Amino acid sequence: MPPLLEASDLTKRYGSTLALDGVSFTVERGITGLLGPNGAGKSTAMKLFLGLLIPTSGSATVMGEKPYENVMARTHLGYMPEHDCLPPAMTATEFLTHMAQISGLPPGAARSRTADILRHVGLDEERYRSIGEYSTGMKQRVKLAQALVHDPEMVFLDEPTAGLDPVGREEMLALIRRTGREFGISIMLSTHLMGDVETTCDRIIVLEGGTVTEAGEVAGFTAESETVFIDVYEDVESLTLALSARGLKAVQDGVSIAVEDVGDNEYDQIRDALAEAGSRLRRLGPRRGRLSDIFRDSSE
Amino acid sequence: MNTPEGQVFDLGYRHYDGPREGRGRARRALFVNGIRTCFGLGRGAWAKVLPILFLVSVMVPAAVFAIMAGLLGEVFADVLNLPGPQDYYRVVSPILLIFSAIIAPELLCPDRQNGVINLYLVRPLSSNDYIVSRWLSFFAVSLVFIYAGQVVLLAGLVMGSQEPLAYLRDNWAHVPKFLLAGLAIAAVTTTIPLAAASLTTRRAYASLAVIALFVVSTAIVAALNSVECVTIPGQERSAASQQAAPESATGQGVVVTFGVSGESQVDDSNTVCEPEFGLAGRWARLLDFGGIPLQVSDLIFDEYSEELTPDSDQIRLPAAVSIVWWAVVVAVPAGILWGRYRRLVT
Repeated sequence: MPPLLEASDLTKRYGSTLALDGVSFTVERGITGLLGPNGAGKSTAMKLFLGLLIPTSGSATVMGEKPYENVMARTHLGYMPEHDCLPPAMTATEFLTHMAQISGLPPGAARSRTADILRHVGLDEERYRSIGEYSTGMKQRVKLAQALVHDPEMVFLDEPTAGLDPVGREEMLALIRRTGREFGISIMLSTHLMGDVETTCDRIIVLEGGTVTEAGEVAGFTAESETVFIDVYEDVESLTLALSARGLKAVQDGVSIAVEDVGDNEYDQIRDALAEAGSRLRRLGPRRGRLSDIFRDSSE
Repeated sequence: MNTPEGQVFDLGYRHYDGPREGRGRARRALFVNGIRTCFGLGRGAWAKVLPILFLVSVMVPAAVFAIMAGLLGEVFADVLNLPGPQDYYRVVSPILLIFSAIIAPELLCPDRQNGVINLYLVRPLSSNDYIVSRWLSFFAVSLVFIYAGQVVLLAGLVMGSQEPLAYLRDNWAHVPKFLLAGLAIAAVTTTIPLAAASLTTRRAYASLAVIALFVVSTAIVAALNSVECVTIPGQERSAASQQAAPESATGQGVVVTFGVSGESQVDDSNTVCEPEFGLAGRWARLLDFGGIPLQVSDLIFDEYSEELTPDSDQIRLPAAVSIVWWAVVVAVPAGILWGRYRRLVT
């Protein structure tokens, strides 16, 4: 069975600008974060999987099909664009019913799916008002609802938290988690905010300047790293020397010492070095990696 | 015993496993949505004002002509030269052109301006499906507006006639003719405004451009086709022998007369009218984009009312040229339309 999404040597060029430079990756079911600064190629990658763009070279496939060659491959895809995409003069109900039919649902099914999905995104009362009168948060919900109204297997959410206040952002992320975990719809979510990925995604792909710089399980990125921090009250220098004498990679950083590549054996040696230097220990522990670190590293 | 007590169940998320009808359903939904948009359905009351106004204004002249014909009887109607089915398109053509210029861009511009087009193009629908569905919906709406007047006129003439059945028997051929001529007109009034709308996201720009195209081209062609009438001096020379008689410019079936200065009566038998610019004016008619489908309509009816269509054989284009040029005038904007929407996905 082909992977849900597969990019192989995917390249997209706009005139002289290279938006994606031969990237290859696969995406399995679940919630995948596409992390990167603006202009990294996140939206371009999504549009290639949706068939809104045609690759310059390489391929983007969804369940083995190329949506830019076969429009029927988009039957089970949903898309929530970053920018405005709603008709202000229509009501949410009418718009969603229309979009469900555009996705191929018969009118009756389109109407009942519309009612269901508006309830799920929390737009019960307002659904008969014109979209033009909605707040940013409500419009964002309609945008998500239209991506889900035909019950897709996979949705692409382009910067779904953009322009939302902290509360709105938290609600949107909760809705996205629910969509992924409870509704069982796979999600690719693009963002430039690490927090969105950390709290919501199962896996992450970091895009930087049109290439993939990191990819893997989010848990892997936030797991314990092999770097140990040691804080002592005094004698930092002698402890550093004692650690280095034992062949450990110790780097003094103010009152702390960072020791890299620490395994089980190295903990014993740290204990011995502490005893030898006679330093009073204040704190010793592994540093927890944060996504912000990889993001900072990759953007340097 | 059942207790009628309300209970609320959270059904949770339910997946959809019913039929998915793909492109056919998508095309149909776009077609219906296009028709609703044209009539302002599903939107506020103001959106419906303009379509209703246009619909009324294409039907009222027909009702008036039919009632007059009924009251005056056939003989007087002939003398007055009341417009019949063969002339009716010429009468309402300006309304039809303005209607298309204003309403057609509504089908394309907002989708691109609001970004809804990006939602359409990620669904099981190609850009060709989109543009063909939109074209067909405006074509259908145009036909409603085009045929409405003819239907009223025909109904009025039949009912006003002394012997309705005899009238129908004698004039049934008008029906297929006006149906066919209506198709020729709708093809032009649909394709040109939609092509203009594909070039801008601003509805007003598209509408103004189309109205300007129709008005300016008609005016230029009318000027180039102005007819110069010269009175040939008779035996008894009148005071002003070289008196230039009424000069008239023709266009859109309206005879505009200006520069009338004759103090002496002009005898028709001594007046010779010639197109001022000769063949140039005749070929300039190719540029009268609003008039081209009417030329085709005249060919279909093969009848001309002298009052309303003052074309002499000299300024009328050969039939084959009219038809080929009509096809070009439909095909070129259609090509622009197709090309513009093809380029949305690159």
